[in-house]
Amino acid sequence: MTHTPRDVWFWLSALALALFALFLLYPLLNVLSASLAASPSGQSGWATLLGEARYRTAIVNTLMLGAVVTVTSTLIGVPLAFVAARFSFPGKALIALLPMTTLIVPEVIAAQTWLMILGNNGIVTRAFADWGILIPSFYGWFGLITVMTFIYYTYVYIGTLAAIKGFDAQLEEASQSLGVPPGRTLLRVMVPVVAPSILASALLVFTLVVGNFAVATILGQRVHLLSVLTYQSFVSEVGTNPVMQSTLASVSIAIVACALFAQRWIVSRGRFEIVQGRGAKPRPLGGLSMLPITIGAAVIVVISLLPLATVVAGAFTRARGPVMRWGEWTTANMERVFLSASDPIVNTLIFAGIATVLSLIVSTLAGFLIVKKRNILTPGIDYLSSLPLALSGTVLGIGLVMSFNGAWLPLAGSGAIVVVAYLIRRLPFGIRNASATLYNIPNSLEDASISLGVPPVRTFLKVILPLMVPSIAAACVLVWTTTVAELSASVVVYSAGQETMPIQIFRLIDSNLMAQASAYGLVLVGIILVPILIATTVFKIDLFATK
Amino acid sequence: MAGIRIENLVVGYGTEPVISSLSLEIADGTLFTLLGPSGCGKTTLLRTIAGFVPVRAGKLAFGNRDVTHRPAYLRDIGMVFQDYALFPDKSVYDNVAYGLRARRVDETAIKTTVSEYLERVGLSAFAQRLPAALSGGQRQRVALARALAIKPTVLLMDEPLSNLDAKLRVQVRETIADLQREVGITTVLVTHDQEEALALSDRIGLLRMGRLEQVGTPEDLYARPVSAYVADFVGAANILPVEVAVPTISGASAQVRLDGMSLEVLAPTGLPAGAAILVARGETLSLGAASGATTNAIRCTVRRRQYLGGRTSFRVATDAGRDIVVEAHGAAPTFAVGDKVSLRFDPVRTLVVAS
Repeated sequence: MTHTPRDVWFWLSALALALFALFLLYPLLNVLSASLAASPSGQSGWATLLGEARYRTAIVNTLMLGAVVTVTSTLIGVPLAFVAARFSFPGKALIALLPMTTLIVPEVIAAQTWLMILGNNGIVTRAFADWGILIPSFYGWFGLITVMTFIYYTYVYIGTLAAIKGFDAQLEEASQSLGVPPGRTLLRVMVPVVAPSILASALLVFTLVVGNFAVATILGQRVHLLSVLTYQSFVSEVGTNPVMQSTLASVSIAIVACALFAQRWIVSRGRFEIVQGRGAKPRPLGGLSMLPITIGAAVIVVISLLPLATVVAGAFTRARGPVMRWGEWTTANMERVFLSASDPIVNTLIFAGIATVLSLIVSTLAGFLIVKKRNILTPGIDYLSSLPLALSGTVLGIGLVMSFNGAWLPLAGSGAIVVVAYLIRRLPFGIRNASATLYNIPNSLEDASISLGVPPVRTFLKVILPLMVPSIAAACVLVWTTTVAELSASVVVYSAGQETMPIQIFRLIDSNLMAQASAYGLVLVGIILVPILIATTVFKIDLFATK
Repeated sequence: MAGIRIENLVVGYGTEPVISSLSLEIADGTLFTLLGPSGCGKTTLLRTIAGFVPVRAGKLAFGNRDVTHRPAYLRDIGMVFQDYALFPDKSVYDNVAYGLRARRVDETAIKTTVSEYLERVGLSAFAQRLPAALSGGQRQRVALARALAIKPTVLLMDEPLSNLDAKLRVQVRETIADLQREVGITTVLVTHDQEEALALSDRIGLLRMGRLEQVGTPEDLYARPVSAYVADFVGAANILPVEVAVPTISGASAQVRLDGMSLEVLAPTGLPAGAAILVARGETLSLGAASGATTNAIRCTVRRRQYLGGRTSFRVATDAGRDIVVEAHGAAPTFAVGDKVSLRFDPVRTLVVAS
């Protein structure tokens, strides 16, 4: 019996698997095993976790916040998607921009701008106070739920919209022809088909809330949350004993993993084959029924765009220390950011630039191996590459610091660890993007090129890669925009002198210097927005085509 | 150019390989068709010849050149795919030039060759178009030009016509047949369509579960099938269980009993006595008045009559209730449903095979 020779793809698979194991599996195992070790006080992390009330409260609070935000996001996202898919009305084009807002406004800026409006010193709070009305403190549950809802409802909106658009409207006509009135048809025919998509995106929101760091830390205050406690125990435990941070991280991994398994189960069970996806034409709304829908949609759009307006205004408003002098304009904040404190901008550009390029190379190659060159190793690559979905940024950061702090691969302290953290966090997206494109490229193209005498690696470069260019370009923009906005992992792994813009904004918010934070925020939004505008207008790239 | 020699080829893993110990000789310059239902291993065999599927055991040679373990890109093959596999981002010209550029042919020579082959497939005017701007038939002709332009040792075609509609299929079939004859290249074509196989092939290999059931000319497979399976797959046939009275030692005919009636039909040498299968093509049967001649005939009743233009199809039932289809060409007999008729078997065109 002759063996197939180990070809070049096999060795590339081995290399990819080794890298993923080193930077992903090894840190994860470090976190999990450290949680089982005994702390200096002699108690294991799990005993402390169960023994101390604040940890128990944190777990309960986190689950509750996740559940509540999931519900509120769904309550906004689903009706909005239905209205957008089925009706046309004045100003509808604005709704199409909504998915962009989560992309353009990083979480840390969303939290900050909400504070500038409704915080203790916020515009609205002060205006109401002038009239003698005291609105409740924005810190705590009120702020957490409000801000996270308006960040995360877009995920439900996008998921639901895609499902409704893919739904065959003929099924509704069939139901009505069988004598079921339109309203009940919707409940009996469409809801069961689109429900799995809604549930799946709702569960995704749940995992994002559990892992959320920026909003939770900035607005949580006296509400104990898992991600905040994890970060705090990391900051206080550095160099000593990593038991508590690991234990808390393990709890968050467990919660997110459960949600993700539930999500996979729902998606795999609920995949109905729609034979002929002829979507319904949007029906123009007329008369009075138009008003509530238009107003409702407009309110959501305005609230979603509010952070953007606030950050622009804040960046050009004079401030003395923490006091914003609204109405007095200045360019001093922007000048300071560019002239005397531009390090965070430079750091962000360098780290995110390197990470984006590496991420595209790694995910294109890994996607190609997973989709086109299956061998005994590729399932491992596939599983490992989706692992970061279960790790919040904080957890990943802690794992990386624990694993590469001195010893044989001392990355901690260098900028490299920030790049690695970026790279790993965006890996699942990059690989899924590449795989989706590759599934649409028939295998026969590769065979055709090889049959014409071009060796396998050159065939990949000459035939497959050119066809992937549009999707790689789209991925490049999306990876870039999400990477420059990354906070939760980088804030854990960075060292002094490596502050990125989100880290700097985070620290300025902590010191209540909102004008400075807004100035950095505006630059950050610009760095995100410019590539998106160039990609969509100059190169006509459909950014959401493969999502 | 060269023929293809396959010796004791085994492909696939485990105890039930996709292809088990297959040997086949394809003569230089001929068009050989691998015919069979889906899952019979014909595409696997073609892809093994191309070099995309590794050989577990056995030998594969193009002429005197052993290519058993040679990678696909060094085998010097031209391949035509079911879904055309044209590079969507390259023009028709660049698609056809692709293999020549890989061989570092200089651009002026490439231009001559590409023009020549585009001319041959009648697409000279489309050189600068992208594949998306072509019809299905045009795409497959570009694919054919691309495969032939590199002047390969062998041409391999995987269901090249199955994505085309009926009318185009006949047109592209003609193009393939003409080009293959002009170029004189050894060609292996995979198809599940027996009509396509009969029309195009010099020889046909009928595959069944990874083994060659019969190899021969189209006439061999149609008129002299070695088994009921071949008879049924190639064209339509009445397959009837019969009893062989005396084993055939040599000679060409045998006496068989069908529903108690004795018939004289063709038989292979060495057919044992006992149960066997009678293969009777509809057009070899003839109907006569019930009162007419009774040699080599059995009594039947007409159950259905269908006028189909060039022929008339009858379904008749024997007294034992067995259905038999008779195709009458030209002026059809005027029998109506319910008429008693005499069904005559042609002793030199009806065949008995082992069951």
